Amino acid sequence: MKILHHPSAVAAAVALATVVCLCGGPASASKATDIVTRSIDGFIRPGYRAFHQSTSALYEAGKALCTAPSQAALDADRATFAKTVDAWSRIETIRFGPVAEQSRLERILFWPDRKATGLRQVQAALADKDPTVTDATGLAGKSVAMQGLGALEFVLYGAGSEALATGDEHRCAYGAAISGNLDAIAQELETAWAAPDGFAAIWANPSAQNPQYRDGTEAVTELMGVFVTGTELVRDVRLGGFLGKDAAADKPRQALFWRSNKTVDALAGNLAGMRDLLEASHLADALPAEASYMGKSALFEFANAASAAKGADGPIAAVLADPDRRAKLAYFGLVTSSLSDIFGTQMSGALGLTAGFSSLDGD
Amino acid sequence: MTDRRRLIDRRDFLTAAGAVYLSSLAPAALAATLETDAVFATAYQRRDGAYGAAILSEAGQILRVVELPDRGHDITFDPVSGRSVVFARQPGTFFVVFDHAGKMQPVTVQSVAGRHFFGHGVFSSDGALLYATENDFDNAAGMIGVYDAGAGFARLGEFPTHGVGPHELLLLGDGRTIAVANGGIETHPDFGRAKLNLPTMKPSYALVDRMTGDLIEKHELPSALHQLSIRHMDTDQTGAVWFGCQHEGPATERPALVGRAVRGKELELIEMPEPVLSGFRNYIGSVAANRKAGTIAVTSPQGNAFSIIDAATAKVVATRLLTEVCGVAPDRSGFLVTTGTGSIVEPDGRSSEDADHVWDNHALRIEA
Repeated sequence: MKILHHPSAVAAAVALATVVCLCGGPASASKATDIVTRSIDGFIRPGYRAFHQSTSALYEAGKALCTAPSQAALDADRATFAKTVDAWSRIETIRFGPVAEQSRLERILFWPDRKATGLRQVQAALADKDPTVTDATGLAGKSVAMQGLGALEFVLYGAGSEALATGDEHRCAYGAAISGNLDAIAQELETAWAAPDGFAAIWANPSAQNPQYRDGTEAVTELMGVFVTGTELVRDVRLGGFLGKDAAADKPRQALFWRSNKTVDALAGNLAGMRDLLEASHLADALPAEASYMGKSALFEFANAASAAKGADGPIAAVLADPDRRAKLAYFGLVTSSLSDIFGTQMSGALGLTAGFSSLDGD
Repeated sequence: MTDRRRLIDRRDFLTAAGAVYLSSLAPAALAATLETDAVFATAYQRRDGAYGAAILSEAGQILRVVELPDRGHDITFDPVSGRSVVFARQPGTFFVVFDHAGKMQPVTVQSVAGRHFFGHGVFSSDGALLYATENDFDNAAGMIGVYDAGAGFARLGEFPTHGVGPHELLLLGDGRTIAVANGGIETHPDFGRAKLNLPTMKPSYALVDRMTGDLIEKHELPSALHQLSIRHMDTDQTGAVWFGCQHEGPATERPALVGRAVRGKELELIEMPEPVLSGFRNYIGSVAANRKAGTIAVTSPQGNAFSIIDAATAKVVATRLLTEVCGVAPDRSGFLVTTGTGSIVEPDGRSSEDADHVWDNHALRIEA
């Protein structure tokens, strides 16, 4: 009420807003608190904890490789990289809150690097043996493209990476610095979400005095946005970035994590994370009875996506060259579109969240 | 030659695709409405998913619709020829020329290779040329495409906007200067609508000479506000340009979202009472001026609210809550607003709902 300057207009405007909404009414604050709290405790906090554990192991493996280079140590470091990608992929569809601060999202993964600016910076740092990239703290102040998973992938898998097994002091130190920087960011994320009076409390307690979530509907809309923007990210940005209309239009080198063969795992991880979030939040329990099937529809499609991804395993260039596996990947895209519709249109509508025609997807 | 032939082929396609439907109004009533009243135009999505543009009466009655192959965005009007143009939403690749009185078949024009539209455009005062903001996406450079309205909207050329991700553009009162909001956000159609440069984005406001393409002035916000994307604008009764922004930085930041640009001066951001600003959720979706009334309206579909500002004092004089409000156009002494839930609200608060359509981000007033 406070935001209206003309009290006489209040009743009319509020009545209008209510009439306009064709839906079953906004989520009550307490119901929203339940959904949000379950999302935080059941998915977000454990997700960031797992990501932090993976980055800590990554940092240790990176330092171990530098101390005693060997093929086994390089393999071990690469394995921790793969696990870090898996952990990140599950939680990366959370794109609000602490990860949106201080460019953390882009510092963890700057992608797409369309003009290969980041790649050139990484290659230049390696070629020049730039001494300023071997320190995690100093790295944090550099270009976002030089400090995250994309840069580390090139260090560990790109041209010249085999020398890490026999000892490439500078390259190894740069890789360890990136890992240390990632570990520091992951720790910040875990800590920020764990704080009882931090962002989690703001999100879970919508009220008229809350600067970010005025009511339950806004709090639940933030959660719904994870599914709506997450499915769009997977389909339009990640998959659409390299999967052409036909095989001739494919661009395998434009795929995320093609060097480490983690392209499909990352896609599958994004959807698996969203499935876990749906289950943890019990969002579907809030659906009216006649719409309760939508939760099951979503789980059915998540399962379809998971099995399609499993069938499309392997280096992305090989997957795209194999008509069977390529078709599975295209099917994965189709299922992602279906999920986008389930969340963005059907479930949003049934929950009385605005359909998002202009507001969630603005311009 | 190849280009010319392609344009003709495109037009054949258009005639087939851009069907126009009359409203259910009796022909006499329709004619009367079109002749006597101002009408409004807006892009829409039908609830069955189909896209189009509609001509609406003030009371929200659909007078005419033009079907679109994909989602539209803003509409611009040429009073000389009576034609309007609706642009595809970014990263769309078409615009459709139509006549709200229904005297001509709509014509669809495709963007050239290597460019897409951003959803906004403007005619020259004499109606001879149409200017559209476009993306030279491989070079991440903003462009203004120039089209010959007298020759089937053949593309005559382009000039740079001197920034990345241009959005709305205006023709200023001298009839020669184009003001462009360079939103600063890099996108590439390979990656849908993903924002590729948020950590380094640098929005700007540029004045460009439409005759020569020369840059006349360019202004940026202070570096601390480099994630504040300048996107929509309108001109007030004094010729000052009011702009609305969308903040791409953290939601915990609440920068000013509305500003004013006066020739030869630095950009000025307008202070608003904290609850009003906070209520906009870092997102202004549309800006419109009522030059007779001396007021500016800014809408926020993210905040489900809109405010009216007195242009002379730069003070917020009224704020209203309205779910998914975005489209706004001057009407009588106030504004008509439209929403993403399908409602149209007149300046006096009378509201009409449409069961079959939801309205896109912008509304245009067309004077009879």
